[in-house]
Amino acid sequence: MMPTKQPEPRPTAKYRSQFRIYVDIMSVIQRESNEAKPTRILYGANLSHDRLVKYLEELKTLGVIQEIGTDEKVYSLTQKGIEFMNNFKRVESFASAFGFKI
Amino acid sequence: MVSGPSWFFGFGAFMEFIAFAIAIAIANQALKGYRLSKEKTLLYLNLSFVLIGAGLLVDGLASLIVFVTGAHRGFLYPFAVGYTIYFFAQVIAYGLLVYAYVYQAREIGAGPALIAAVPFLFFARNAVTELILIFLLVYIATQTGNNYSLNKGTNALLVFGAFVTLSIAHVFFLIFTVDRIFYPLAHLTQLLGFLLLLWMLLRVNRQK
Repeated sequence: MMPTKQPEPRPTAKYRSQFRIYVDIMSVIQRESNEAKPTRILYGANLSHDRLVKYLEELKTLGVIQEIGTDEKVYSLTQKGIEFMNNFKRVESFASAFGFKI
Repeated sequence: MVSGPSWFFGFGAFMEFIAFAIAIAIANQALKGYRLSKEKTLLYLNLSFVLIGAGLLVDGLASLIVFVTGAHRGFLYPFAVGYTIYFFAQVIAYGLLVYAYVYQAREIGAGPALIAAVPFLFFARNAVTELILIFLLVYIATQTGNNYSLNKGTNALLVFGAFVTLSIAHVFFLIFTVDRIFYPLAHLTQLLGFLLLLWMLLRVNRQK
């Protein structure tokens, strides 16, 4: 289950959009062999720099991504993040079988 | 109510219990998806399969009572109650699924869709209720067929196949008064539909 900060946001359109952005960022990192630079994520998730920084911080707080590397920033999924993405793929596949998009 | 061959009651109940278990497994997966994504269509899917499962369980239990007591199910009050609950549950469940597809398409708002569903909920006669169920199932089968034509995935094909099979099952339930052999056929076809859904569920959960 996607870890959430307290208090948990209500399931509004805004939240869903945020959820989708989280998933997009994490998908880019996973696609890049679990080591992605901010520029890669920025293009892959189609975000502005400011929003990217904000979401990366949020994802770090949630414990699903971590910063690795010393010279330049590189992000990777944590074990929690990998588990979340595995669960998400199952749910997406299930919903897609019925024709529902998440 | 006219019923199927008496030799089939035990088998029918057994098949409904299997279908109940599959429906609950589908509902559980949909709930997991809703908790993860907060996507409302998955909540509707969950509620829909909970209702389908509840209907199957009640009808299966009613059939089992008839089977155990050895009485003819057509004359038993418990069966009549079970039968009514089963059909009401199914109509609401498939109505919810139709609503989920409409909701996703955003063609109409929530209010009109729910109001449109209300008149469907108060029929009790077998033929009429079955026709409503067939109508709802054909709509769902069409939607899942469209989905399959777009994504060509095996899971989408299994869901499409399941709803086509369930539609055929309800056609058999409708026409079993013509020949009682359609009653066991309807149960078998219904079970096949749920087994296709189980197959899809196993494929999804096997995915790494």
